[in-house]
Amino acid sequence: MEASQFLSVAMQQIVNGISLGAVYALIAVGFAMVFNVLKFSNFSHGGVLGTGAYLGYLAALYLKLPLIPVLLIGMLMGGLVAVGVEFVAFRSIRKKRGQLVYFFVTSVTMLMLLEQILVIFFGASFFTYPTMIRTTSFSLGGINFTVLYLVMMAVSLLAFGTLAWALKYTKLGIAIRAASNDLTTTNLMGVNVDFIVMATFFVSGMLGGLSGVLLGMTYTLYPQIGQLVVKGFIACVLGGLGSVTGAAWGALALAVVEVSLIAIMGAGLSPAVIFAIMVAFLLVRPQGFAGVSFQEKA
Amino acid sequence: MDYIITVAVFTAITTLGVLGTFVLTGLTGLFSLGQAAFMGLGSYIAALAVVKYDVPFPLAVAMAVVISVAVAYVIGYTTLKIRQDFFALVTFGFGEALRSIMDESVKYTGGAMGFSGVPQLTTPWLAFGSLAAAVWLVRNVRKSKFGRDCLAIRTDELAAQVIGIDAFSHKLKVFLLGAGLSSFAGALMAFFTTYVEPGMFGWIQSAIWIIMVFFGGRDSLTGTIFGAATLSALPEILRFASQWRVLIYCVIILLIINFRPAGLFGRWELSLENLGLKHRRVGPGIPEGKIHG
Repeated sequence: MEASQFLSVAMQQIVNGISLGAVYALIAVGFAMVFNVLKFSNFSHGGVLGTGAYLGYLAALYLKLPLIPVLLIGMLMGGLVAVGVEFVAFRSIRKKRGQLVYFFVTSVTMLMLLEQILVIFFGASFFTYPTMIRTTSFSLGGINFTVLYLVMMAVSLLAFGTLAWALKYTKLGIAIRAASNDLTTTNLMGVNVDFIVMATFFVSGMLGGLSGVLLGMTYTLYPQIGQLVVKGFIACVLGGLGSVTGAAWGALALAVVEVSLIAIMGAGLSPAVIFAIMVAFLLVRPQGFAGVSFQEKA
Repeated sequence: MDYIITVAVFTAITTLGVLGTFVLTGLTGLFSLGQAAFMGLGSYIAALAVVKYDVPFPLAVAMAVVISVAVAYVIGYTTLKIRQDFFALVTFGFGEALRSIMDESVKYTGGAMGFSGVPQLTTPWLAFGSLAAAVWLVRNVRKSKFGRDCLAIRTDELAAQVIGIDAFSHKLKVFLLGAGLSSFAGALMAFFTTYVEPGMFGWIQSAIWIIMVFFGGRDSLTGTIFGAATLSALPEILRFASQWRVLIYCVIILLIINFRPAGLFGRWELSLENLGLKHRRVGPGIPEGKIHG
């Protein structure tokens, strides 16, 4: 293979990887937000993602809505489902000051529960989103750009921009950041913690619903689609739990590595290689990408 | 009757695998999202050895356990010094990696289609006997000084280290024990169902095992055995409800965690003393008081 040809193939993989990474980052950031406030790995986020994807699909199919309203519906539904999950599964544990492990166990249970609800209503078969984007791809400088991928990137950037702004400047955002720092003190300062936790779940669920719809459009829709939450989990840990930016970078790196590996050696053995890379990375840099080390208290 | 015995043996072997999760999570508070993968590793090694290389069955089972423990040593040695989340992540990655290797090695294992044609060598008595032996072993480990040192680590790692307990080496040993139990269960499973496939050992299965342990009570061996046995037999019992059964299963777990967070059994153990059949003797045991972590 000539050098220029190799370069364009490599560039192509990087572009594809970044597009996929944008969606992984949405998952990871939604995952990280709940981790920051309640300090547990929230696997129910996957269930929220799956439910959002299916409800977005219903909106696209039956209401014949165009792309943007479908995305918004997916977000809204994801947010509502996440709030529901918090109310049903996590609230009473939080009120009783239960140990973190209970949150973890409950969150995995909620993932299975939501998955099973999807199986009951939609069956175990696969669905495809109706086409919402006419042009599929165009070429620029030897690199193919898939329009859907560009949409994914643009939507993610927009979502992150809004989120960053909201966390930094709005009253609610500041309260969420305060709660991430120290939930008890935030409560003592007169902030309604129940409301903040609910809001965090809503925002996290919106990101989950959005990533669900985007994933559903790119691939196919199946009840286990929520298990892609593990991409968020991996990205989050690699990024250094406790850092939203780190989670986003972790997601991007994970996606680029995944896409390149699949291009080089096929999808089959790539999880084994990713595992090896992961172990090596953790040995070299145990604090994650961002370097913010979240200390477990004894 | 045959059906009942089949379900009972299946349940016994699963319970044996879940004991691996129980020692790990119950003694050290660590979460392994790859515990079921050790079961997979054990079953594949044993099945391969017998079917492809004509290794005698007992030796094959021993090989399965030894190799799995060696793999666990590598994973534990690299990750147990750093944070717990990393341990969860790396065990998860291990499970997925193993699954992809099983999927790809079509030539040897039949790949994603599964490995079939394993002879049925696990008799019901072997399964029940192994479970009984494992229960006895785990009970004694928990009661030993080593076991109580582990509980100290789970409750407060810093404090435990201050009084001279080597947290890393304890966690590593417990992880090896857990991997050994789960892989042993895997070897028995392969020779009972005569068929294994990579899909049986994913991270969701490991998560379900953790749920089973918490369902019965992570501080109660009796509870864990009850939880593992009930929850793994439940899908069989609820067969009539087909797709609703997972839903029912999840709702039951949510109710338990919400209303009885210490698990159904809490810290209660089945023993002659607790049944009032024998007077309690004073001596070493797990001290009363709160265990956290």
